[in-house]
Amino acid sequence: MAEIQLKGISKSFDDNKVIKSLDLSIANGEFITVLGPSGCGKSTLLRIIAGLESQSSGDVIIDGREVNNVRASERDLAMVFQSYALYPHLSVQQNLMVPLKLRRLSRLERFPLLNWFLPKRSSKMIELNEKVLQAAETLQITHLMERKPGQLSGGQQQRVAVGRAMVREPVAFLMDEPLSNLDAALRVHMRAEISELHRKLKTTFVYVTHDQAEALTMSDRMAVMMDGEILQHDTPSEIYNNPVNLQVAEFIGSPKINVLPAESDSKGGITCMGLPISLSMKTPKQGSIMLGFRPEHTELLSSNSNNCFEGKITYKENLGSDIYLHVNLKEDQHKMIVRSEPDKALDAKIGDMVKIGWMVDKVMAFERNGQSLPTKSKS
Amino acid sequence: MGHTRSHFWFVSPAVILMFVILILPIFVAATFSFTDYNLGSTDFKWIGWKNYESLGKFSSYSKMFTASLTYVVIVVPVSVLLGLGSAMLISSLRFGGELYKAIFFLPVMATLLAMAYAWEFALDPVMGVINKVLDDGCSVGWFYKFFTGSWLGFNPTESWYGGICSDRMPNWLGNKKYALGSISFIGIWQAFGFNMVLYLAGLTSIPRDLYAAAEIDGANSTWEKFKLVTWPMLGPTHVFVVTITSIRSFQVFDTVEALTRGGPSKSTYMMVYAMYEKGVKQNLIGMGSTLTIVFLGFVLVLTMTQVYFINRKVHYS
Repeated sequence: MAEIQLKGISKSFDDNKVIKSLDLSIANGEFITVLGPSGCGKSTLLRIIAGLESQSSGDVIIDGREVNNVRASERDLAMVFQSYALYPHLSVQQNLMVPLKLRRLSRLERFPLLNWFLPKRSSKMIELNEKVLQAAETLQITHLMERKPGQLSGGQQQRVAVGRAMVREPVAFLMDEPLSNLDAALRVHMRAEISELHRKLKTTFVYVTHDQAEALTMSDRMAVMMDGEILQHDTPSEIYNNPVNLQVAEFIGSPKINVLPAESDSKGGITCMGLPISLSMKTPKQGSIMLGFRPEHTELLSSNSNNCFEGKITYKENLGSDIYLHVNLKEDQHKMIVRSEPDKALDAKIGDMVKIGWMVDKVMAFERNGQSLPTKSKS
Repeated sequence: MGHTRSHFWFVSPAVILMFVILILPIFVAATFSFTDYNLGSTDFKWIGWKNYESLGKFSSYSKMFTASLTYVVIVVPVSVLLGLGSAMLISSLRFGGELYKAIFFLPVMATLLAMAYAWEFALDPVMGVINKVLDDGCSVGWFYKFFTGSWLGFNPTESWYGGICSDRMPNWLGNKKYALGSISFIGIWQAFGFNMVLYLAGLTSIPRDLYAAAEIDGANSTWEKFKLVTWPMLGPTHVFVVTITSIRSFQVFDTVEALTRGGPSKSTYMMVYAMYEKGVKQNLIGMGSTLTIVFLGFVLVLTMTQVYFINRKVHYS
């Protein structure tokens, strides 16, 4: 178990600055997710923590010890790769054995043939076999021990990769998009299993992903990373409900948040496309702002409602549990996605005019530059 | 399909060509190997297994097997390991790799026969550059010390180099003691560039993640990573390289024909050269065919071993 601190980490490949002065502190036993679109530098960050890549500047501190010049094999971290990186010529059992053998046996004890004559080796091997078996039991792969990785399904390979990370009880687990090669159903299942494993092991997990569902469901805290910077580092619910800026708001949530232009007056009142929103700014300032409405915080209203958005349905997505309606707002180029209960929108057809309301306490306000603005609802 | 025969017409050109060009000659050779047929004579006698028996009877044939096998046993491991080593060194280079590849591949591209003549000049006992250097080196203190091993405390006059300094320079191609070694050296020089290219291709196909995983798992020396990742991941390449090099070494002909003609006293009498000597130079088609069939047997065994290993051992899926 370990706490990991990153101080002023930056990384450039030639002229390309992948990570720009980044600070992150990860508490002991925490499950932290680094979430970002592909190419944002999150995998590079993980490889810097692991020691597989060296940072251009800044410090990596594990358990209070600065490890900038400590090589990966000495940092006592375990890593699960997206490709699993199992040794294809070794059986599952041997794969799990590799990190134990390399760390617990001396060079002489690993020397072929000669090692049979070393007295302590056999008792050590029994102990190591025990550990491998324990890990295999935890992950329920004992029946696969004699197979080669090529004979396993994706999910089974994934388990073996986790097992190989687990056997030697590292101070922290680093996971680089470990679920992205699995099919959708298995991914949901493995999500639960990895969370379960974290509860059982109580070790620090650093989990890198581009899938917000993984980040939101699994992590204690998540760091949203874009263009080599961490934009927000907080609990999943805080990031979902109070994103620091429009970029984060747009990245988290599916379908994407609806953004509409709005005006604020000197008293702090807000009007959006001519409609008064019963919301006011905590620090009133006159000017144009932007409002964010998440699809799940909007609703279809009956045709006799007033003080609501109006528009024409252009597309309907029926997901069974929800229906998403894509609406072109009246007299404008703006589009909006509305979530609805299935029975309310079942009859809605493309081309129909609909009225749309919103949950006022969930509406978010942003400055023109994207910065979040604190608001309060008028009661 | 059943009622027309057109499909036979469609496949027949391929089948006939394959039979005439590839399979028939082997049957012809196999048939001739049981006769005493001489090129030009009008008739021949069936002599059963006599040709094969003579392989065991005459010392020139047992020398042929010794020479061929010795050549293979020297050239294959050395050129394979050199190929692997140079491929690993080149692939670890940041720049300049292309240049090294081109240089080491030169002997592969060049005509071996022409190169053999160049080696003949270099290896000439009197005028050759190699003996010239060795001869001049006898009077250069550090050179003499280094090659006689006297810097390690050995007696310089008892060493090999000390011996040739006080006596005379070796006749690389004319002396029974050196001829096969010289031919093998040229064989290695020629073969390892090809092996290097094959290994370079094999090395690039190893996923980078495996090295990262090995590092994380605690493999902190290059040797550990080589043992855990590089060597086993090159499994299919090893089998291919070893088989190809073995077959090509069995087939060695150009250097023998150009430099030694099988001599001195049959010490470099390789199989293909023997085939050529019997079948072409002496017109003994029967004996030449016998050698061909035996040679085919060797190659077949090698290929079968390769197929066996590829199917069983080195393809990890």
